[in-house]
Amino acid sequence: MIDSYTRLLKAVADTGETAVADVAVTKLVRHLKSMGRMKMLPQIVRELRTIAARRNALHPRLEVASAKEVPAALKDAKTLGIAVEQVEINPSLIRGWRAQSRGRLIDRSAKQALIQIYQKVTA
Amino acid sequence: MQSIIERIEKEIAAWDPTSGGASLETGIVRAAGDGIAEIDGLAQAMMSEMVLFDAVFDRTLEDALKDTSPIYGLILNLEEDGVRAVILGDSTRVHEGMLVRRLGKPLSISVGDSLLGRVVNPLGEPVDGKGPTKAKEDRPIERQAYGVIDRSSVNVPLHTGIKAIDAMIPIGRGQRELIIGDRGTGKTSIAIDTIINQKNEPDATRPICIYVAIGQKESKTAKLVAELAARGAMEYSIIVTAPASAPAALQFLAPFAGATIGEYFMEQGKDALVIYDDLSKQAVAYRQMSLLLRRPPGREAYPGDIFYLHSRLLERAAKLSKEKGGGSLTALPIIETQEGDVSAYIPTNVISITDGQIYLEANLFNKGQRPAINVGISVSRVGSSAQTKAMKKVSGKIKLELAQFRELEAFMQFSSDLDADTKKRIDTGRRMTEVLNQGRGVPLSFEMEAAVIFAATNGYLDTIAPAQIGIAEEKLRAYLSREAGGILTAIRESKEIREETEKTLREKLDAFVAHQSA
Repeated sequence: MIDSYTRLLKAVADTGETAVADVAVTKLVRHLKSMGRMKMLPQIVRELRTIAARRNALHPRLEVASAKEVPAALKDAKTLGIAVEQVEINPSLIRGWRAQSRGRLIDRSAKQALIQIYQKVTA
Repeated sequence: MQSIIERIEKEIAAWDPTSGGASLETGIVRAAGDGIAEIDGLAQAMMSEMVLFDAVFDRTLEDALKDTSPIYGLILNLEEDGVRAVILGDSTRVHEGMLVRRLGKPLSISVGDSLLGRVVNPLGEPVDGKGPTKAKEDRPIERQAYGVIDRSSVNVPLHTGIKAIDAMIPIGRGQRELIIGDRGTGKTSIAIDTIINQKNEPDATRPICIYVAIGQKESKTAKLVAELAARGAMEYSIIVTAPASAPAALQFLAPFAGATIGEYFMEQGKDALVIYDDLSKQAVAYRQMSLLLRRPPGREAYPGDIFYLHSRLLERAAKLSKEKGGGSLTALPIIETQEGDVSAYIPTNVISITDGQIYLEANLFNKGQRPAINVGISVSRVGSSAQTKAMKKVSGKIKLELAQFRELEAFMQFSSDLDADTKKRIDTGRRMTEVLNQGRGVPLSFEMEAAVIFAATNGYLDTIAPAQIGIAEEKLRAYLSREAGGILTAIRESKEIREETEKTLREKLDAFVAHQSA
């Protein structure tokens, strides 16, 4: 049952309509109270938090080797369909940038290129 | 050194940060344990697709270059919010939050002639310390078996060098013959003798032998490799090993890897023989994986598709039509029974899939019969059409006679008063049982088997006491090799015992008997 209620709330949240979500939550709480199953509520919240955390992990993310490369990286990433608001500086990339969004990764860093060269040469 | 520097400089010069870096589909490990990884993302992933766990994504270049051994995974469950994959390698290196890349291809291994004489793991990586293999052709390890149109009937024998099998339960090239029995009854010995015996085949028609060791002790596999090497059999053999210490995923994949290697040779028009030792352990590994993947358990906790697991593997054994090159892949799966129970789940499944079975019995083994084959319930459903004329001629009634002997032998325990005819039958049965007794590691060439069985079925050994048959047979073989080389060659070349050959053979046998009686 917890799984079903969680999926229901997730589906409602995915519509993006806050008013509808509020109504759904109110009705669910009322229903659980009437059934004497309020104990399920914290578990449903925990499931929803897990889903939110998993979604966050797949959120758009842009890493750039140095601050001076940020504007070019943002532009390139946007061209390739990854629009981000925040940029992280990651010197381990050496040069270039890499972006992740909804399960897509574009890696244009010198680190990745050097690893590939190493693999080619040592293969 | 200079060439390496030049090559690296060339690669660096060619790198353009504004290009390349194709869009890759990635996921993130949600949880990992017991060799299974739960992955978020990878919405476009396919079943049985390979993924790469990127262990260096969050590390510095220096650390990344220190640890370049890749960790692969195989997707086995597609779920609503992610996928589940088995980890093919050291699962302790996979951790939560790790990036996973899709490779966009099914699990494949490299195959080629250079695998001959090598010991590899189910991913095709060498484990014999002889350096990398030069196999270049990648092939998916799971594939659809050949259909009816592409096949021809089994019509060429695969000689095991074991008299009892070649005479009574003949195996044809392209057949699937199950070897079944309790532990320690000689199942592996039959398989190994069959590999060793292929040395007697001419180079052109000698099958390539692939031995797949599943869940076995590494010491046993090492011993086996040493034995094959000592007997000169490694030059046409390949060993695929997934030892008991290997992850369940590799034990599950090992037979498929063996079949893939075998198919490579089959498609080149060659004959290949693959031995799966043993499928019981593969089934156990698959059960473990399925339970960890949270698939619903069925009978004996095996998953519902355990039959399909074995049927799709064994269906890949085939004798191809001439249009497809005429190659063949013979499969000798091995199943271990518990207390002789052939009606357990996995044994009955595999019995129903294969084209016959060689049943080894612990009682016969303890009585000293080698190989300990129970002739009554052993059968070859297609092999008899592949049997040579010579073998058919000499072994015609052996199976029936031995079955009658077993019945009479049981009856004899209750009655001491036997008529002459019954006594004669029992004596003949005992003698024949002794003739078919054959130690481990001494496979015989087909022509020698035919000559020995000819002598036994035509009464040339009737004057010898059953207990002395072993010694007499050894002498007979030595005598035939020495005195009747021409006859053996004639049988080998014509694959039959022609009238004139039979006449000469009888003369030689008469001389042998006379010499023995003297």
